[in-house]
Amino acid sequence: MTRTAFVRFAPVALLLATAAAGTAQAATDGSLGATSTGTVTINASVAPRVQISKLSDVTFSAVDAANPASNSQNICVWSNTSGRKYNITATGNGTSSAFTLASGVLAPAAYTVEWAPTSGATTTTGLTAGSALAGQSTAATSPTCSSGVATSATLVVKMSAASLQGMQAGATYTGVLTLVVAPE
Amino acid sequence: MILLVPSMVIAESPLRNRPRRGGRWLPRLFLALLGLFAVALAAPAAAQEKFVKIGNLTDYNFGTITNLSADRTLASSICIYSAKATPGYNVTAIGDGAGGAFTLAGGGGTLAYEVQWNSLPNMASGTTLRPNVTLTGLLTTALQANCNNGPPSSASLIVLLRATALQAAPSGTFSGVLTIVIGSE
Repeated sequence: MTRTAFVRFAPVALLLATAAAGTAQAATDGSLGATSTGTVTINASVAPRVQISKLSDVTFSAVDAANPASNSQNICVWSNTSGRKYNITATGNGTSSAFTLASGVLAPAAYTVEWAPTSGATTTTGLTAGSALAGQSTAATSPTCSSGVATSATLVVKMSAASLQGMQAGATYTGVLTLVVAPE
Repeated sequence: MILLVPSMVIAESPLRNRPRRGGRWLPRLFLALLGLFAVALAAPAAAQEKFVKIGNLTDYNFGTITNLSADRTLASSICIYSAKATPGYNVTAIGDGAGGAFTLAGGGGTLAYEVQWNSLPNMASGTTLRPNVTLTGLLTTALQANCNNGPPSSASLIVLLRATALQAAPSGTFSGVLTIVIGSE
C-alpha cells in the first residue's frame, strides 16, 4: 500500500519540485528562428547610505571676551534614503564627549553646536553631545555635492561670553568635534 | 540545382518521344510533382540557413550593494547560434524602462544600468549597447543550436551598474527585464 502510494505520488512530487525549481530561474532562452529573443531579469538592492563633506576647521582668534563668538559654515550632507532622511550626532573630545576645548592644565572652555538641514540657515537647532538629532532631510543629490546643490546643511559653533571670559589670554585652546550622520 | 538535373534528364528521356497512349499527361504530371518536390525541399533549406538562436541565459542578481563608489559588473557566457555558412548575426537589446531604456524599477525610483556585448565567451567587457539600437557584423563560433557540442558558449552579455547610477538611485530593491533579440546576417 505504502509502496503503491509512493509509486503514484513520486512522479507528482518530482513534477512539483521541478516546477518550483523553475520559478527561481526567470531567464528565458530564445527559440530557433529567423530572429531569436531571450530575456533576463536583473535584480539589485542599493543599501541606505549617507555622507558628510565640505567641513572646515573652526578658528576663533583674538576674540573679544566681552561678546560671544560664532562660526557658521555651510557643508554637504547627502542621503539616498526615501525622502533623503538622516540623523546627526555630535560629540566633543571633552570629558564624556563634552563640547569643550582644552589647553593643557587650564580649565576647559565650553562651546555649543547648532545644526540646520539647509544651507545658509539663520535658524538652527542646538545639538546635545552624544544625542542624535533625528528627522533631518537633505537637498543634496550627489554624495559630495559635486552636482546639484553646492551645500545642504549649516553647522554653527558658538562660544558664549562667559566661556570666553573663563579662558586664559594668550593660551591656545583646541578640541575635536565629531559629527556622525546616519540614514533614516 | 541538384533536383533540376533529373528533371532535365527526364525531359530528354525516351518517355518524352514515346508514342502517345492516352496523351502526354503522365510525364507532365511527373515533372510537375518533381517540381513541387524540389520547391518543397529547397524553400525550408533556404529559410533554415537564416535561423539563429539565443540560449543559456541566466538572471543577473547583484545582491545588496553597499559600496556605492565603485562600478559593479556581472557577465555571463551565453550561446548564440547562426545556421548560415558564415554564421553572422546582429543583436538588439531592449530594457523595460520608458522607450526601452536600461533602467531597473523599485525603491521609489529607478536605477540605470548599462549593457555590453562581446562576441566571445567569458569576457568581462564588450561593446556598449544602446536601447533599441542594433549591433551588427557579429560572428558566432557555436556549432549547434544549444551549444551542446562544440564550444559550450559563444558570447558574453555584460550588465554594469555604474557608481554614478548607484549614487543617484534611492536606496531599495530594484528589478527589471532585459530583452535580447538576435537576428541573422
